[in-house]
Amino acid sequence: MDKRFTLGLWLVLGGAALLLSLLIQDFYLRSILNLMAISALLATSLRFVMLMGELNFALAAFTGLGAYSAGYLSTVLGLPFGFAILLAGLITAAVSALFGAITLRAKGPYFLLIGFAFSEAMRVAYSKIDAVGGTSGMVGIYPPRAFDDWLPFVVVGTVLLLLIAFYLVEKSDFGRILFAIRENEDVARSVGIRTYLYKVIAISGACFAAGLAGGLHAFVNQVISPGDFGYLLAAFALAYVKIGGEDFFLGPIVGAVLLVALSSYALGLGGDEHFLYGGAIIIAVLLMPKGVLGMLGKLRLKAAVSNDKVSADVH
Amino acid sequence: MIIKKQLKSGAAVLALAGLIAGAAQAEEVIRLGLSVPLSGAAAVWGKGAEFLCNTAAREIREGGGVSVGGETYNFECLSYDNKYNAAEGTKVAQALLNREGVKFIGGSLGTAPVQALQALAERQDVLVFTVAWGASIKGVKHPMTFTQMNTPGEILPLLIAYIAKEHPEAKSVAMLNPNDATGKETETLAGDIWAKNGVDVAASDFYERGTTEFQPIAARLASLKPAIIDLGATPPADAGAIFKELDVLGWKGVKVVEVGTGADGLKATGGDAAEGVYMGAGVTFEGNAATDHQKAINEQAKAQIGESLNAVQIGFYDSVYALKAAMEKAGSVDPKIVAEVLPQVTFKSFYGEEVGFYGKELYGRDQQMRLPIIVTKVIGGTLAEVARLKP
Amino acid sequence: MQTFIQLSATALQIGAVYVLFSLGLTLIFGVMRIVNFVHGHIFSVAALVVAYLLPALAAGGLSAPAAYVLASFVGIAVALSLGALLYIFGFRHFQRDLVGSFILSIGLVLLLDGVLLHVFGGAVRGVPEIFPGRVSIGGAQVTIQRLFLCAVAVLMAVSLYLALGHSRLGKALRAVSYDHEAAMMVGIPYSRIAFLGFMIASLLAAIAGVLLAPVTIVSPVIGTDYLIKGFIAVIIGGLGSVPGAILGSIFVASIETFGSYYLDSSYATLAIFGLVIIVLLFWPKGVFGRG
Repeated sequence: MDKRFTLGLWLVLGGAALLLSLLIQDFYLRSILNLMAISALLATSLRFVMLMGELNFALAAFTGLGAYSAGYLSTVLGLPFGFAILLAGLITAAVSALFGAITLRAKGPYFLLIGFAFSEAMRVAYSKIDAVGGTSGMVGIYPPRAFDDWLPFVVVGTVLLLLIAFYLVEKSDFGRILFAIRENEDVARSVGIRTYLYKVIAISGACFAAGLAGGLHAFVNQVISPGDFGYLLAAFALAYVKIGGEDFFLGPIVGAVLLVALSSYALGLGGDEHFLYGGAIIIAVLLMPKGVLGMLGKLRLKAAVSNDKVSADVH
Repeated sequence: MIIKKQLKSGAAVLALAGLIAGAAQAEEVIRLGLSVPLSGAAAVWGKGAEFLCNTAAREIREGGGVSVGGETYNFECLSYDNKYNAAEGTKVAQALLNREGVKFIGGSLGTAPVQALQALAERQDVLVFTVAWGASIKGVKHPMTFTQMNTPGEILPLLIAYIAKEHPEAKSVAMLNPNDATGKETETLAGDIWAKNGVDVAASDFYERGTTEFQPIAARLASLKPAIIDLGATPPADAGAIFKELDVLGWKGVKVVEVGTGADGLKATGGDAAEGVYMGAGVTFEGNAATDHQKAINEQAKAQIGESLNAVQIGFYDSVYALKAAMEKAGSVDPKIVAEVLPQVTFKSFYGEEVGFYGKELYGRDQQMRLPIIVTKVIGGTLAEVARLKP
Repeated sequence: MQTFIQLSATALQIGAVYVLFSLGLTLIFGVMRIVNFVHGHIFSVAALVVAYLLPALAAGGLSAPAAYVLASFVGIAVALSLGALLYIFGFRHFQRDLVGSFILSIGLVLLLDGVLLHVFGGAVRGVPEIFPGRVSIGGAQVTIQRLFLCAVAVLMAVSLYLALGHSRLGKALRAVSYDHEAAMMVGIPYSRIAFLGFMIASLLAAIAGVLLAPVTIVSPVIGTDYLIKGFIAVIIGGLGSVPGAILGSIFVASIETFGSYYLDSSYATLAIFGLVIIVLLFWPKGVFGRG
């Protein structure tokens, strides 16, 4: 990919998102924009860990940890908005590092299922701790009044910063090592790379973003409950990645935007929401295995092939 | 690029639709928003709530509508699925309040999503009716919130006193509740009230909603050999299963499901073991207790949703009539004005009586519907009303 | 001592159900290397059909056991058809693709949740006991219904174990789960074996559903709780291993039973999750796992 093209794309898309966050006045659309941004961040975090070949289903648990930490720090300890969210992210990074250190020796489906079990366990745990509201959830997580009008801008801006960070890391040597680990961890280790350390750092970084996303979620919604952070959260993030296209950095973002828009439409259908959402996921997975971006890429390739008479691929 | 453009045009369409919808409703339709679970384990409650709101709206329309200041208004019920958690509750609140422009919430279910709803509704002066029990959502801090069904605060003192009087020899109780807001609320109150009535609390346990194997739980309860087993806020189906297991273990005693709402689930899973169970929030449609009107509606409900109506869903019928009475008395459809008038009106509830609001001593303001507390007992396989206590 | 016997009996009964679930999950994973989240719905469908049909058939004049047997056959048939549909139109295209198949199963869970709610309604249905009465075994009270369930579960587990060890199909299944490429090279028809593996797993889930209908709360959402416990059992026991599935199921059932009795049901749930993590610390692939 041409470097200037990439930079241009970042500026345009990022700029457009920030602009939207400033210009949209309708409350409902602002809430949707916030939701899209946070979902895009979670999906990107998940994809980041997929780069090293693991499915981080504990994402839900760590998003919850970030949300509850930010909520607790803000409502009980009175910390200001920015500090609460940042600290929430750091707490999550620390806990996830510990989690990763313990569980990353399990691979593939085992790691997936441990993450799943861990998320459900945390959900039960939150519901039992009265200090954070128990099953009723935590309320009153208000961002400062001054931010009211600017909240989408703050959310989109924060998400954008983290996305840039993810992108830079992916393109760096660290990213290449993750790819190498995914290809064949033993080979990577044989050339002296401390693969386990890299995996733990990767998870910790990804979950830092997840914790921050959780913190943002807490302030945007102002109310959180244990049920918000069950395994479905991670399952949906995975759907965003897959439907957008897991091979592309933009994939999870595209997937998040599309599916959040779809679900907001489906909400109006009452009980039939599940049909639409589930059906959409199934159709997308069956018909577009490479996701939306993958399909667009193929279309572009086909167009190029038919235009270009001196093409290498002859079908 | 394409995506961004699609997003922008999609946003424009949504905004336009919202405008049109907003304009269309200003004339003579008042939309009542409902935030209820429409999927998952509690789906039946949500569907029943929807049904009853629609029924009340239809009856009012057929009766000539609501007359306020010379205009006639009719109600329309709009229900969204809050999936019993705060995140979805927030989405529902956003959709109802910001997208649909709803000003009255005809009913909401689930403490977590209701809290999410309140956070938004209070900023916009929207009137909220709820069946949720969390004490945190009631009181002086929430002047536009009203409760549309009896909650543990109302039911337990009267119910427990009744049972203690009926069974003076029973001196010990073991309690079990689901590990959620309703369970915790019930447990806190019940413990004190049992003690006040001279009954020892041998144990108070919690279990996770969604559990299907109740043998170990039943074994634990039975091992304490209590005279009374109180299942608090356990849903009827779970309660039936627990009583069945207790029966297998040979326990015999007084069976109570304090805030049990219906016998159908109880009998489905409990079979014969459901005999003799007392419930505090159950409604029976057999015999003389129910009016013909109630029975007719219940038959329709059974056809549509598969089981008899319960007190939770009935609240969604009552709130519509309460709003009608308040709007007509206040001569306005402004939510703030209606909220001020609401505690002073009376209206005909589903239970057939004229009902007002109370609750000042307990919550600081009169926000609770003064509904009768119906004590029911399963006798000979059917649910019978044994007492109707007036608060 | 009396309590211990009663609790052990309970643990074994509960474990029997989890065994039926986890055998299916472990089989699917072993053969196709996929994690199938929609397995629980096959169980739910079978149970729902029985709960729906039984009262109708009994009202039509059949005796309770006969109605039950007939309803069970229909239930199993419907559940198996669902399983076949899921395989042919869905999972067949995602073999050995952990991520893709997982997302597909999540989409299916959402869709089927909606479908089941629509078709069967959300209300709980009762299924009367088919074998009423109870016995006392070593001082523990057990209902005959549950005893029957245990017996069938044991029978299925033993049959599966023997079949895997000694029948041609069993050997083919094992070969495929060890090394599917090598298996194909010696002429084992992989697609057909994968299909059969999936159908056997679905049969186990359907039988579990039919057996549990009289004992449990039948509503469209019952599959999930058992599914989660089933997955935990296979993680502990090792994906792809039959003895592992049995061991894991008994382990989970025991913690659930003894934990709920001595502590509290919610803490028992937490304890199960905690112990999974501890087990995996020492056996990253489960106790008998080959991954």
